[in-house]
Amino acid sequence: MEYGLRPLGREKFWFWVMLIPTLIGLTFGALGSILATLGLSLTNWDLLRPPTWAGISNYLALFNNPAYFKALTNTFKFSAMYVPGVVIISLFVAVLMNRKIHGVSIFRTIYFLPAVTSAVATALVWNMIYGRDTGILNYLLNLLGQPSICWLCTKNALMSVVVVNIWGAIGEGMIIFLAGLTAIPREYYEAATIDGAGTFDQFFSITLPLVTPSIFFQTLISTINAFQAYDYIYMMTRQGQGDSSVPVVVFSIYRNAWNFFKYGGASAQAIELAVLVILLMGFYFWLERRYVVYE
Amino acid sequence: MKKTLFSLAMVAILLLSACGGKTTGNNATNNSPVQITYMEWGDPAELSVWKAIVADFEAANPNIKVNVDVSDWDSYWTKLKTLLAANTPPDVFAMDAPLYLDYQSRGVLLNLQPYIDSNPGMLDGLFPNTLTAYQTPDGYFGLPRDFQTIVVFYNKDMFDKAGVPYPKSNWTYDDLRATALALTKDTSGDGKIDQFGYVIDPWDFEPGMSEIIWASGGDLINADHTKTLIGEPNARTAFQFLHDMMFVDHSIPDPNTSSQYGGDLFLSGNAAMIAMGHWAVPSYSEASFKWDVVQMPSGPAGQATSVNSAGFVVGKDSKNPDAAFAFIKFVLSTAGQTRLAEMGFACPVLRSVAESDAFLKQGTSINQQIFIDSLAFAHMKPVFKGYDEWSSTIGDGLTPMWNGEAELNPTLDQIVTQADVVLANNK
Repeated sequence: MEYGLRPLGREKFWFWVMLIPTLIGLTFGALGSILATLGLSLTNWDLLRPPTWAGISNYLALFNNPAYFKALTNTFKFSAMYVPGVVIISLFVAVLMNRKIHGVSIFRTIYFLPAVTSAVATALVWNMIYGRDTGILNYLLNLLGQPSICWLCTKNALMSVVVVNIWGAIGEGMIIFLAGLTAIPREYYEAATIDGAGTFDQFFSITLPLVTPSIFFQTLISTINAFQAYDYIYMMTRQGQGDSSVPVVVFSIYRNAWNFFKYGGASAQAIELAVLVILLMGFYFWLERRYVVYE
Repeated sequence: MKKTLFSLAMVAILLLSACGGKTTGNNATNNSPVQITYMEWGDPAELSVWKAIVADFEAANPNIKVNVDVSDWDSYWTKLKTLLAANTPPDVFAMDAPLYLDYQSRGVLLNLQPYIDSNPGMLDGLFPNTLTAYQTPDGYFGLPRDFQTIVVFYNKDMFDKAGVPYPKSNWTYDDLRATALALTKDTSGDGKIDQFGYVIDPWDFEPGMSEIIWASGGDLINADHTKTLIGEPNARTAFQFLHDMMFVDHSIPDPNTSSQYGGDLFLSGNAAMIAMGHWAVPSYSEASFKWDVVQMPSGPAGQATSVNSAGFVVGKDSKNPDAAFAFIKFVLSTAGQTRLAEMGFACPVLRSVAESDAFLKQGTSINQQIFIDSLAFAHMKPVFKGYDEWSSTIGDGLTPMWNGEAELNPTLDQIVTQADVVLANNK
């Protein structure tokens, strides 16, 4: 498979020169901090005194930490709902938006809007929508004769924040899928129409297989985002005293480090989260070899 | 995103600590003024008052310059920890008494005892119970700056409208419950309560919960901080009382209800009474209704409230400890405390100022004396290493119960077990 033009001669030199700023950023910003976190996870460190060697005790402690287990469970539950939700809904929206209808660019803009709006501000608006006695959602339910639901109470909070997170991610997913959809040659559909295939057959036999590279990419990105999700969740589920009714791993990492003086333990949580994401990515790449169609 | 920020912060810390060691030893012994930094949490209004105090101080000490650095509560602690880790702490910084030992026990604070010893009589005029929090077997590593007693703020207009008499200084929790019930109303007539009798912070002991536990004869934690006592019978009675007010009378809103009102139901005119500290006075002064304060009610074991203080500490690696202490000494003097009293956020720790017009006759027409009188029956907010994690464990554990999703007694049993583990781990 040909990936495009290869740099030749002097181009090669400029190729690296142009990459230097990014590489410096990656080396010191990402790689450096990853190594530092790895090192810190093997120590007990309260930030104020020099770190002391802890071996793998921080990792072992994770197995016996109900708060961390709860956070990990929440992160997995969240991801299990969020990733398929984002992929399916944004593909659906992209298919709808990939037509020559009047004002389609306005709709595209509207769907993309959450991606460029401050998460904190939109989370506050969602808090108002979800309000138990004063929220619009329950007002509408009451109009239909249904009882009010406490959307952000512990029982429903996870579902409610998943909905908001999916809503916030559809825009970006839609852009990815639109790019994938436009790359499908028109002739395939014309041929299918001539052969008498209906809209559904066309979707499942042409669109879906040919858009699998985009689905793969979007699933990958959504999974990474799901494991890092924090801002909407915290804004909507925070309690007094800095707690959250849906604590996720990133929240647990932050709180253990900055509130509880446990930088070593927090680093171990971060490393474990990274390892889980890497394993999941490995699984995705295995799936890619089996199912993703590259033309 | 947060993870990236976190990792970046880690690297920054490492880089900073690597560079930190090289810049010592530029002590200003020549004629140029000594520069010190004072860092605290607060809002912009406080910054202007501190600038006034600093101006007074610099006029009296022309060879010292003070830079004031004010951050909001959350970023203050993050920033402070980073600076301490980098061995470049601010010279003087603010400390919340319950968190004091988390820092003191880690050896990052300067022992102020030698300085206090060379200024005999310096602490004589201070309220003794505000000093207790900062005492350690090795002396004082910090000194109180101002204090907060918890009182009940009440909306006079709401009482007048309902024809309910104002609470009196010798009232009881039964009076509170009856008064709160009489003021709990559905004013809009849509079948949902929108005016609540009483508001507490159900996740933090300080405003509302610790007071009733003490007044019922219970306690939060034992003296050597090894055992959580909120599951003992008297404390349970207190929790049951609040639970009944919330779920039987509906006169205290549960957290899900109160979160709909943007935080402060008293200020928004949706609550008749609230347990609160003096820090709320400046913002309540802008309320559109008339209000005043009254002591916390008494329970079977008498009257009780909570006292907590914000204090000053000096970084152990401060390059100018003498100048730093001179600044603390000035703020604790009559001139400094008078300025602080005028600021209105807290009560001065210097008795003579707390009892002077500077504090008692501030802009608002409320009875400031109540905050001072409450000291007579105040219990200290607990101070021990690991306080933040302990209180968070309890606050987190209580949430499902206050949300009406868990039963009172099993919740308390579970919390006590978890909180005791935290205590053991922080020993």
